[in-house]
Amino acid sequence: MIEPYIWWVILAITAGTVVTRSGPHLLGSKLRIPSSFDAALRFAPACALAAIIAPDLVFSGDTLNLTLENPRLLAGAVAAVIFATSRSMIATIAGGMIVFWLMKAWFVG
Amino acid sequence: MPAAPGVFAWGLVTGVAMVKSGLNVPEAIALSLIAYAGSAQLAALPLMATFAPIWLIFATAVIVNLRSAVYNMVMRSHLAGLSMSKRIGLGFLVGDIMFARFSALLERDPHYPQPVAYYFGGACCNWVWWQVSSIIGIVAATGIPLSWGLELAGTLTLVALLVPLCRQWPVLAGAIVAAVTSVMAHDLPLRLGLPLGIVLGVITAFLVERRRGAA
Repeated sequence: MIEPYIWWVILAITAGTVVTRSGPHLLGSKLRIPSSFDAALRFAPACALAAIIAPDLVFSGDTLNLTLENPRLLAGAVAAVIFATSRSMIATIAGGMIVFWLMKAWFVG
Repeated sequence: MPAAPGVFAWGLVTGVAMVKSGLNVPEAIALSLIAYAGSAQLAALPLMATFAPIWLIFATAVIVNLRSAVYNMVMRSHLAGLSMSKRIGLGFLVGDIMFARFSALLERDPHYPQPVAYYFGGACCNWVWWQVSSIIGIVAATGIPLSWGLELAGTLTLVALLVPLCRQWPVLAGAIVAAVTSVMAHDLPLRLGLPLGIVLGVITAFLVERRRGAA
């Protein structure tokens, strides 16, 4: 059973994906890109990812926890360092999750 | 394909994260098969969990996917001889991993005889790996307790996408402002902290670049 809201979500994500992936091929090859749009192309994805990730890492429930005793924040920081040095997606996910689980075991257990 | 383990892990994590964010199995499978959106799917999860408005989910998908628009601007010259429908189809299959491999190939061997065939073959492999691993993740997730916190793995893959984008100062500055804004504005209704963070972040990056250009 798929909720009507979720159908709209699927439609919205698909449309957003098609526009950005196939859209450039619909433009004529001579068309120049305005420089303000070019800046948005370069800056916006990083800003969007940062704005999505940050609340996920610093909030536990509804409380803000900016200390390194916050397992999610520490896991995110470790993941960033691992990816910057190894370029490996698997090592990044595994390393971050191991930190998260160790931290939780440490503070809860 | 050497790219397969990365695609597989990312798909698996996305599958698990979709279910752990509250989608049921048919919903998660439909999202994966229809949208094939990777990072945009992950980005939309916290939004749909709080029933954010559809326009915001659409806008988020577009903005997160502007990376693909950059890739496709580059791909345009390689696909120039093909029909419109082929270009649109090949464009839709662009992903971070395949584009990185395609760029690396052309750097190694600028006169590679069949670049489009290489790209199409790799992109199809990635599509299959992605769907298989996502569906495994979706099905397996129903048996994994919430307390394992596996939805965090979805966030960690986004961290992996963000890190290489932040190599230049303007982008790093913009990302920091976007992150801080989004945290501080977390209590705004309709998740409006997200677009606010993106707008302030892009403005910051723009200003930092102009200052550096002037200096």
